[in-house]
Amino acid sequence: MDTRNLDERLERLFAEGVEFEPEIKKEIWNNIGHELFEDGKKGDITEMKKRRSLIRLAASVAAVAIIVIGLNTQPGLALVNRIREMFEPEKNITQDIEGGKEEQNVQLNEGGNAEYVIYVDQERYKMIKDVDADRIVPNPPLPEGYPEVSMEIRQVTDKDPERLVREMEALLKEKYDDVTAPQPVEDPVKGWTVRGLGGKSWDSTVERVYVISNRKEGSFIITQRYFLEAAEGHGARFYHMLKEFYLVED
Amino acid sequence: MDIQLIQNIKAGDSSSFKKLYDMYADSALRTAAGITGDSELAKDAVQETFIRVYRSLNSFDTSRPFKPWFYRILINECSRLLRKRPRVISLNRLCDEEGYQVADREREDYMDLYNAVLSLKDIYRIPIVLKYLHGFTEREVAGIMELNQNTVKTRLLKAREMIRKKLEAAEGRVGYGH
Repeated sequence: MDTRNLDERLERLFAEGVEFEPEIKKEIWNNIGHELFEDGKKGDITEMKKRRSLIRLAASVAAVAIIVIGLNTQPGLALVNRIREMFEPEKNITQDIEGGKEEQNVQLNEGGNAEYVIYVDQERYKMIKDVDADRIVPNPPLPEGYPEVSMEIRQVTDKDPERLVREMEALLKEKYDDVTAPQPVEDPVKGWTVRGLGGKSWDSTVERVYVISNRKEGSFIITQRYFLEAAEGHGARFYHMLKEFYLVED
Repeated sequence: MDIQLIQNIKAGDSSSFKKLYDMYADSALRTAAGITGDSELAKDAVQETFIRVYRSLNSFDTSRPFKPWFYRILINECSRLLRKRPRVISLNRLCDEEGYQVADREREDYMDLYNAVLSLKDIYRIPIVLKYLHGFTEREVAGIMELNQNTVKTRLLKAREMIRKKLEAAEGRVGYGH
């Protein structure tokens, strides 16, 4: 066998011999994305830039997204401005509402102390910031006679989610006969959930609580309140809004 | 390699990183498969390589070519995984496993050649893979492997000689059998 012949055979060997299915590449990419962009893992861009920087975790894979803000940023206006620079002020999402797909424009809202952001459907809701919690409520308000509809976001800085979800379960049991056991969830956020139900009539209250880590010592409690008939409407809209919830770590 | 793409990734743009992955994943998989001879190791090596590339981009000098830097990381990763695993190269596994297709018409030839390449020590096999899979020049292979160019030249010559002898031996066995 001469050298030229061997060269050609080797070239053909590598050129034609092995093909990879697209699914393999997709699987590898998913693993890479999981390692670098999900679950609040640091050390990717953080290491790369040798400073704290920005990590966005895709809410579409049902993780709570984290944004790590630049090194010297202090909480307050500068931080809020920075968030505004990093996020689109508004975007379109597709949501399943009452059995159909619905395209919805949502707007960026910063939470209290700029420790999280959430995209809110401002055609139907508005965000009210209070001292100890933020609330997303229908806008305009529902007519009199309807049960409360809201999504409340509150931070508890000294209790972890597992402990807190038990406390929320106990509180719900004081109000409702029908309370589910706390369950770990991946969707719409990664954490725990517990639900209380006030009956089986159209206006029976539903109170669904999500408890997620604040990536420090504490948790965020997200309480969705609506009524049974509105489960596929307001309930579904809150669910989709919560998928667009991002924590901000300084 | 688009420097802007690298700079976008450095700035934290994950979509640019996906673009880089799409550009390099195929050839990286083929290279890793050629070096390790093992589909699972190849997948792991490529996965770890992209993660290391992403995490190390800050140390990458954009005035230098990206491709040799990338393949140096890939080869290091292949070597690391091979060291972790007992050195048993299964050619059948590479060729038969789902996701890999070897043309039937020349299957035996491929098998013989693969066997010959995969039987080489790393120091000979890696230059062969880089040269024949990617068309890297001896100088580029030397840069990737951080070797003297003459050393690469010598290793390629020896590698080809060893492959030739193994193929002749294989052909001889077939001939004897008939």
